[in-house]
Amino acid sequence: MENQQRDYWNPWLETLDPARLKQIEMKNFRKYVAYAKEHSGLYRQKLAGINPEDIKTMEDVRKLPLTDKEDLRLAQLGEKPSIYGDLLGVDPSEVSDFRQTSGTTGKPVYVPESFESWQWRIEVWCHILWMAGFRETDRVFVPFGYNVYVAFWEGHYAAEKVGCEVVPGGALDTRGRINKIREIGATGLMNTPTYGLHMAEEARQMGIDPKKLGIRRMLCAGEPLPQPTRRLIESTWGAEVYDHIGGTEPCAWAAMCKERNGMHIMEPFFLVEVLNVDDLSKEVGPGELGTVVVTPLGRRSFPLVRFNTKDLARMPMKSGCSCGRTSMKVAQIEGRTDHLLKIRGVLFTPVAVEECLRDEFPAVAEFEITVRRTGIMDEIGLKVEPSEDMGSGAREELKGRIFERLKHRTNLTFGIEVVKPGELPRYQLKASRFKDLREDPK
Amino acid sequence: MKHLDAAELDRLKAMSLKIKEAEKAVMELKELGKGVPVVEKNVRSILSVTYVLKFGISDLAEMEALD
Repeated sequence: MENQQRDYWNPWLETLDPARLKQIEMKNFRKYVAYAKEHSGLYRQKLAGINPEDIKTMEDVRKLPLTDKEDLRLAQLGEKPSIYGDLLGVDPSEVSDFRQTSGTTGKPVYVPESFESWQWRIEVWCHILWMAGFRETDRVFVPFGYNVYVAFWEGHYAAEKVGCEVVPGGALDTRGRINKIREIGATGLMNTPTYGLHMAEEARQMGIDPKKLGIRRMLCAGEPLPQPTRRLIESTWGAEVYDHIGGTEPCAWAAMCKERNGMHIMEPFFLVEVLNVDDLSKEVGPGELGTVVVTPLGRRSFPLVRFNTKDLARMPMKSGCSCGRTSMKVAQIEGRTDHLLKIRGVLFTPVAVEECLRDEFPAVAEFEITVRRTGIMDEIGLKVEPSEDMGSGAREELKGRIFERLKHRTNLTFGIEVVKPGELPRYQLKASRFKDLREDPK
Repeated sequence: MKHLDAAELDRLKAMSLKIKEAEKAVMELKELGKGVPVVEKNVRSILSVTYVLKFGISDLAEMEALD
């Protein structure tokens, strides 16, 4: 019994009857809304007139206003005597950690963590790492300077709590990191998918087969990870590669188990809704694509109720998994609503290109998508960088095949350019492979 | 999918009680060491962990006990 229970970080919660999980979530939600209303300037205003005790069903939940990033930016300018303004849910003296969003979509949001809220985030990450098989026997290398960005800090402290040995790998260049992995005999990595591929490329240039480095598992963060890319990283490193979904504001709210097919929502730590993109008052049906709205149910220093992540995912079909966990599962993130483009009448997300290239074109090492407006028409361009230099005939052949496959998979006509190896930028944290160059994308 | 059996529920309740007792003991320690950093700051650390334990264990025990 004891051995079986060690398959789970929390065997009671993780194998609980789904109906019971929902009851706990609803109870936590009421409690959290009451807390937010009492302690946060933002929610005192936003939830005025709401009685938390009246919230009994998901229909009741959907009567509450959504919170988006712009709300947070504005609240940050509030009058409370701290840099967090009306976002703060505790006394400023209780804040122990400063984090901030990457600023990809505008002015960064500052995220205050009290020691208690930070421990809550780490606990969520312990579930994630345990589910991905990280154990006391692992030596985990994190090839980044974490700076003010949250994911690898969470991963670092959670790995430590799980009992792994953690080796921070900031202040080294990529070759230095590869040497360090080899020198210390690391068995686990935490990195962005892009950097996982970049390190492997660099290792090969050093004459080292990444598979021989001894990495058994890798947890990816910071970018979407389509299954073809995940499988490519697995075969490149000879390691199990795990994904999770989350963000700086809500924390990581879903993650992969050993099955590596879809991600378990971290119930009952979060209340997750998948809403109709065009009508956010309605939930989508099972298997349908929608925008994800998340409420983290235990973080008090940074209250966040019904946060519109703008991530696109499919509504879970059913709960349950061969791993024995009973929480609902979502498939991978399929893009962001602010990257959901309509080009010549066709709905498109950049992740579709990545899926196609990683799935069908192993010779492509890097790529970059651009959208431009010529006259009244939108033009979509794609630069692809092969891993090895090719002659003009081979380049034309590659270009033609990619053109055909993308046309088939997306119904769009891409202007494709094959560039020289090493020409496209490499990224360590969030890759920026999509550039919308239209003055008015609407 | 699993419903908790009586033995598991008893185990959860017992753990929940211990978490409560630990929290109470730590609060008493906090009172005794009021104003002393070594006590106050370490108490804060312990309480942040009992908060997490309440989330994962006590909440479930309470919910199950209601049935």
